Amino acid sequence: MKTNDVILQFTAKIVFFIIFFYAVHIFFAGHYTPGGGFVGGLVTSSAIVLLIIAFDLKTVKSILPINYLYLVAVGLLLALGTAAFSMFVGEPFFTHFFDYFNLPILGKTSLHTAALFDLGVYLVVVGVTMTIIQTIGDDE
Amino acid sequence: MSFQILLNFFLAFLWMFLSSNYSLSRLIIGYLLGLLVIIALRKFFKTRLYVDRVWAVIKLTVLFIKELILANITVLKLVIKPKLDMQPAFFKYDTTLTEEWEITLLSSLITLTPGTVVVHVSDDSKSLFIHVIDSQDIDETIDSIKYSFEKAILEVSRS
Repeated sequence: MKTNDVILQFTAKIVFFIIFFYAVHIFFAGHYTPGGGFVGGLVTSSAIVLLIIAFDLKTVKSILPINYLYLVAVGLLLALGTAAFSMFVGEPFFTHFFDYFNLPILGKTSLHTAALFDLGVYLVVVGVTMTIIQTIGDDE
Repeated sequence: MSFQILLNFFLAFLWMFLSSNYSLSRLIIGYLLGLLVIIALRKFFKTRLYVDRVWAVIKLTVLFIKELILANITVLKLVIKPKLDMQPAFFKYDTTLTEEWEITLLSSLITLTPGTVVVHVSDDSKSLFIHVIDSQDIDETIDSIKYSFEKAILEVSRS
């Protein structure tokens, strides 16, 4: 029995973007205000889960053809690479570097390698959450 | 419609680049000037002016807020009545709207105006099933509300 989910599907399409933008905002806000990679990753996966609820697994897999296991691997590599990079410069493991740069459009911005580590955390969280949910959802 | 918005932004940027003063106020002035030009030359466009459509959206919003307040007062009257003499009912409402967003918007408007809740959209998306809290003499008034909402939504979406 396939019901007509026109309201849910249309709303999910719109709300997905709002949730995703909020996730990116919370990811970048993590340095000075509450937020960061973990929360951002969870919010992002919740947006994808909303799509899965509104449509179905096959459709979402065709829309976002991402192998989430690779996403976990990339995230771990990024986190490890950020942490290990300082050893090649002669600093202890996990030393972070930051500086202020004058970017062409954004003006004076502080770039911090902790953001890269956070991106690794973000990717791992998204990958793990989506792997769990897809694996459970696939068991028909 | 989208072409007109693009043209308006193009004119705004043109105005900003003509004077080498790149600020937001300059852009807004250019946008308003472009709006004036587009309204003046509205005969050249095949579709409606997009300002018209923005106006229709504003009218729909005002209508919705008005209906929300009125309907909440109606429900308040129902709640504080000492006697429970209301008769809930379901009815089928055939809609002329076709687009996904139109049906979603209409359903949301009907649901957010208390006394009526959309419970189901039929499989061919041609009719809504609505639960009404008091069906005694309210069917005609509800239909009139629906026609006002539907007319307002059609006003927004017609090209």
